[in-house]
Amino acid sequence: MGAGRLRRGTAIAALAVSLAACGSQPGGAGGGGDVTISFAWWGSDGRATITKQAVELFQQKNPNIKVQTTFSAYAAYWEKVATQTAGGNPPDVMTVDTRYLSEYGERKVLLDLNEGAGKQVSLADVNPELANTGVIGGKRFAVPWAQNASSLVYDPAPYQAAGADPSQPMTWEQFRAAAEKVSAANGFQVRGVTDFGMIDSALEIWLRQRGKGMFTPDGKLGFGAAELKEYWELASRFRTTKAATEAEVTASYNTSPEQAPLGKKLTAAEFAYDSVYPGFQKANGKDLRVAPYPSDDPANTGQYRRPSMFLAVSARGKQQEASAKLVNFLINDPEAGKILGADRGLPPNLKIRAQLAGEAKGTDKVIYDYEAAIEPKLGPAPAVPPKGAGAIQKLLQRTYEEIAFGRLSVDDAVSRFMSEAQKDLQ
Amino acid sequence: MRAKTVLWHVLCLAAVAVVLYPLIWLAFASVKPPSEVLSSLNLLPSRLVLDGYRQGWEGAAGIGFGTFFMNSFVVAVASVVANVLSCTLAAYAFARLRFRFSGPLFAFMIATLMLPHHVTLIPQYVIFQQAGMVNTFVPLILPKLLATEAFFVFLIVQFMRGIPRELDEAATIDGCGVYKTFWHVVLPLAKPALVTTSIFTFIWTWNDFFTQMVYLNDAEKFTVPLGLRLFVDTSSQSNFGAMFAMSALALVPIVLFFLVFQRLLVEGVSTSGLKG
Amino acid sequence: MTVLKTPPSSATAAPAPRKPRGAGRRREHQREAYVFLTPWLLGAIGLTVGPMIVSLYLSFTEYDLFTEPRWVGFENFVRMFTEDDRYLQSVKVTLLYVLVAVPMKMIVSLLVAMVLNTRAGSNGFYRSAFYAPSLLGASVAAALVWRAMFTEGGTVNELLDGIGLNTPSWVDDPSYTIWSVILLAVWQFGAPMVIFLAGLKQIPRELYEAAEVDGASPVRKFWHITLPMLSPVIFFNLVLEAIHAFQVFTPAFVIGGGRGGPADSALVYTLYLYQAGFEDFEMGYASAMAWVLLVVIAIVTAVIFRSARLWVFYGDKS
Repeated sequence: MGAGRLRRGTAIAALAVSLAACGSQPGGAGGGGDVTISFAWWGSDGRATITKQAVELFQQKNPNIKVQTTFSAYAAYWEKVATQTAGGNPPDVMTVDTRYLSEYGERKVLLDLNEGAGKQVSLADVNPELANTGVIGGKRFAVPWAQNASSLVYDPAPYQAAGADPSQPMTWEQFRAAAEKVSAANGFQVRGVTDFGMIDSALEIWLRQRGKGMFTPDGKLGFGAAELKEYWELASRFRTTKAATEAEVTASYNTSPEQAPLGKKLTAAEFAYDSVYPGFQKANGKDLRVAPYPSDDPANTGQYRRPSMFLAVSARGKQQEASAKLVNFLINDPEAGKILGADRGLPPNLKIRAQLAGEAKGTDKVIYDYEAAIEPKLGPAPAVPPKGAGAIQKLLQRTYEEIAFGRLSVDDAVSRFMSEAQKDLQ
Repeated sequence: MRAKTVLWHVLCLAAVAVVLYPLIWLAFASVKPPSEVLSSLNLLPSRLVLDGYRQGWEGAAGIGFGTFFMNSFVVAVASVVANVLSCTLAAYAFARLRFRFSGPLFAFMIATLMLPHHVTLIPQYVIFQQAGMVNTFVPLILPKLLATEAFFVFLIVQFMRGIPRELDEAATIDGCGVYKTFWHVVLPLAKPALVTTSIFTFIWTWNDFFTQMVYLNDAEKFTVPLGLRLFVDTSSQSNFGAMFAMSALALVPIVLFFLVFQRLLVEGVSTSGLKG
Repeated sequence: MTVLKTPPSSATAAPAPRKPRGAGRRREHQREAYVFLTPWLLGAIGLTVGPMIVSLYLSFTEYDLFTEPRWVGFENFVRMFTEDDRYLQSVKVTLLYVLVAVPMKMIVSLLVAMVLNTRAGSNGFYRSAFYAPSLLGASVAAALVWRAMFTEGGTVNELLDGIGLNTPSWVDDPSYTIWSVILLAVWQFGAPMVIFLAGLKQIPRELYEAAEVDGASPVRKFWHITLPMLSPVIFFNLVLEAIHAFQVFTPAFVIGGGRGGPADSALVYTLYLYQAGFEDFEMGYASAMAWVLLVVIAIVTAVIFRSARLWVFYGDKS
């Protein structure tokens, strides 16, 4: 077993770009491994491969630290981490996203990285605004491991044919008219855009364009019934004019690009994070592009530097020094940065990002260019969503589905949403 | 008469076709080009592509899919042996022996079927965690060795109760003790129950995702269901072609297992049944 | 015959062994019984009782998985029935599922088992073919295959369109999703089928032959021989299918993408329980739901056991 792992470990290490000449065995796995930490992340095969390469590199540079890695798909990951945490052994280092940060941070599962062992995690090369997105009430429960931004992923050809260019600023109504033309041009088989009434990130951007947000800093809902009604009426206008998808397609909406309407070639555009754009490109097969959201206020596109994923250290682990060291390595080591690339989003370390941006090709280059272009317009990141934020996302989706299928009026759906949201946020 | 048989087979085959159609669809999906895997609802691929099998067999994160198959095989076979052994013992006591508290204990056993396992998962996890058994196959196999799956105890109890009691009474008169009676009389006659238990245990263990996901951390120890999920993730890029290909391949061992055992199953039942 | 018998006389749970036939020849086997029970008892005490008691305790607490549970008395139970619309929705969905899927699955599996029990059908090919869907289990692949069958433009929809029935996507339209869940469950009918088949194999052929001499029609034979002789097996399958149906999780999880389908249309009880426990961090509430379910299942099971006296025929009693 041990020998087998060693062998495979060596094989993986040999794949790593900078290690080609390395003939020695990876340290840590053999003798002298006096500290063992566990590291868990979510994601599929490709991500696991590169992350394990980065971990191998870390073990080579720190022969006294052995890292046990584990990974699963997103939903399974959270069930597993919850069970492990309840059982008293959360992973020493784990990936977290905004949806679960409060749940784990406020329940004292995560270490405050401003203190003790966490001090060795350097954020000097990270944009301060991005760096602080993992802070709740002054405590740094997590540090961003990657940055992404909201965007409209679209197929330029049909939009050009309809006389529109989504890469240029347009109002929501202009976008709707263009999307309707795109739908009409092919007999409404492929719609202009995927319905967005149920997409929480789209609602967030729309609210930010109006100076509001999903949540207030003290953890309340950041919008009222009036805003939600307006948003759902906007989405409904898209739907009823057939600019957007019909209810059934909307109901099959899934954040996985391959299963989303755009990935299945049922629409020509979809609101999504730019980090999933390569997935769309591959699934859809056409030459897609990314653009900012439409906005009725050209000065405010509502976008911000979004932490697509965080790294956090368990407050209940015994090896906090080694854990923090791994976190620092994954964020700041140039070689690690190169191995990890833009798989999770842009690297948070700006030096690494600049270096990778120069070398980027294909879809990665599109993302780097896009984020560089919107950089001047990015607003401040919102506070970490409160506990119960995950429930709000599900609530938004199912109440909007009631509207789309004509089972509830917009007004009734809004009042149901508001009353259930109060309960979810306590 | 002959025409009737032909007609009968035609009807049967039609039913088989309906029932198997989704599986056939799955088999064809595994050889579709990537651009059709999800977006095309057609049965047949536009061209034959075996990339899914090649990429799928390479596995995930540097671990070949063969490793996952091996792990699943070890877990499933060990589970079958453990489950048959322990459930048979318990079932024999419930079905044949008189002892104090047999009623309440049986009722309790049935009651354990009724609680959704999601709420016992965490306390159970704590037990295995304290025992240092997480990230081994023990939490997957030990419960089977301790007959925690009441479904099978109940099943075997019901089978055993059908075995004519005269047989073990005769054995007792011949001087056989309880143990000998169990071994030489009841066990051979309960073969259909044991075969059914083996089939169900193997298939259900092979397909189980949640328990294996919770207890296995190290990718080298992952089983087939865990390996399959590594191809698909809602937050990163997925390889549906590989997932379909390996899903189709994962059916092979259980099909073979069923093919071998179903013969025993039905023959066993019919012979022992006649004696009843 | 005999494979599967219900507890002979006492129709409640305990399988009290039959009264000895010879006068008092059968004695108690305390020690031996507990030797045989040792593995099960160890498992029950070590792995089952403890976690069950813990979950019962948690059902009276507020427990977020990460911090100490806080005692709240009956609050969880009150909340369930008075202020949780999703809970009531899950009860509704589950009842519909139980009432439709259990009889459907029983009928389909019995029908197929009877076909397989005829001379022409009695070969490994048919047996394996009909069992095959149950091999697939609940995977991502199963979900996608089902989607391909039942979505707009999918095979089933196209066929229905062909005969003039325009239906929306069965996996996406809230009025239909639960039916695609039911169909997925029914499609995997292998387990009860195998058990039915085992039971059918053991009905003595002489009974049918005697009936044929009397000129009984196939329908008559079915009602007067097959059903009564098979009733213990029907009983067994009914109990287990009912217990499983109340706890249905996987087909709904698979089809609804883990969230319960559009507009909660496939939010079955255990799925909601799972969401409460693992997604919303309300394990206390989830435990309370689990124990309410246990009580309901226990009542239903007891009713089935009790009704067994009226309709289950015991071959060895006549």
